[in-house]
Amino acid sequence: MAEERPAKWGLVVDLDRCTGCNACIVACALENNVPFVGEDEVAYGRALYWIRTQRYWEGEYPEVTPTFQPVMCQQCGNAPCEPVCPVYASVHSEEEQINLAVYNRCVGTRYCANNCPYFARVFNWFDYELPEPMRSYLNPDVTVRRRGVMEKCTFCVQRIVRGRQKARAEGRELRDGEVQPACVQACPAEALVFGDLSDPESRVSQLARSQRRYHLLEALGTLPRVTYLKGVGNHGG
Amino acid sequence: MRVKKSWWQSGGIRIAAAFVFLILFGGAASGIYLSQIPPEQPIAFPHKTHVALGAQCAYCHPAADWGPNAGLPSLSKCWGCHQQVQKKSPELEKLAGYVQRNEPIPWVPVAIQPDFVKFNHQPHVRAGIACETCHGPVSQMTVALPQPRQNMGWCLDCHQRMRPNDFVRLSDCATCHY
Repeated sequence: MAEERPAKWGLVVDLDRCTGCNACIVACALENNVPFVGEDEVAYGRALYWIRTQRYWEGEYPEVTPTFQPVMCQQCGNAPCEPVCPVYASVHSEEEQINLAVYNRCVGTRYCANNCPYFARVFNWFDYELPEPMRSYLNPDVTVRRRGVMEKCTFCVQRIVRGRQKARAEGRELRDGEVQPACVQACPAEALVFGDLSDPESRVSQLARSQRRYHLLEALGTLPRVTYLKGVGNHGG
Repeated sequence: MRVKKSWWQSGGIRIAAAFVFLILFGGAASGIYLSQIPPEQPIAFPHKTHVALGAQCAYCHPAADWGPNAGLPSLSKCWGCHQQVQKKSPELEKLAGYVQRNEPIPWVPVAIQPDFVKFNHQPHVRAGIACETCHGPVSQMTVALPQPRQNMGWCLDCHQRMRPNDFVRLSDCATCHY
């Protein structure tokens, strides 16, 4: 088989298309076994979300319009979370070109979350019990994290690995759009587009070259893999 | 003149420390022991006999070729052959009993990995790795025996023998842990 070039996974978020429906959050939680912690815990700042929508209000009171910005782990090329981990639980994956959270290494110092400028990392403060039928809904492809473990968006690496293994078994390359994280799959407005940034013809590469592109907190030099497309309509900043 | 002993030299403390050590050591030793003995199976399935008769691994565990789990044969697969084979042995009587009651055989998986390890049979089988490489000489076993020290170093030991480019990919954390 021909030598494979390593993929450089990227995500494009088109803010013009995002309606703030939060379907991505639900899909993410179900795909990745992210527990629902309940209102009280959220009020304590212990919410567990791998993706969230930040809501902004535009304009003065009667004439306000909301704008939404889904924020997940930006999979930085130069990630602030990585050098601070004392046990190498937060490491860079050379193969997938994403940041990993290795659950079985994590000892819960929470340095990585404190150093993340995007607040993308969340901490399991407790073991969250699932009500009985819900245990059957756990995704067997994803580890159920224990108490005291840091976690974050992985670009649904289980789907990437599974997709690549499937493509290799069939003796072909991965097709553009074949692998999709749960949020991308769930987005009804196609505001999220996922793909291989190293392929200049992929849909995500073409969108990432758009003139509306920007990265979150670009000045920090974190080299995020998530590109945002500025909204240019009546709503959106 | 009597020298005053420091606190850690007193007998009580030392005996307590010895007890703590014994409990921890005993727990660790029994944990290792329990994970290395074969679990009780509902039927003492003789792998030896079936392999000697020429049955391929993939005949009963076919999903190894297309999925993460090799799978265990269904009752109908066992019964497909065994309804024609005479049922003299007490183990086959048990099988006949399961068929009569039409309930699945509660096999106990032997080669298991912890929750945070994601193993997929398919790439290994497609790469031409023989089943015995990891599962030991099953052709000489009756019930499947757990293989000792199937840990991460053991996985990486084999991955390291691949081409250097492949080792970069195969030593990536996200290959097995997500």
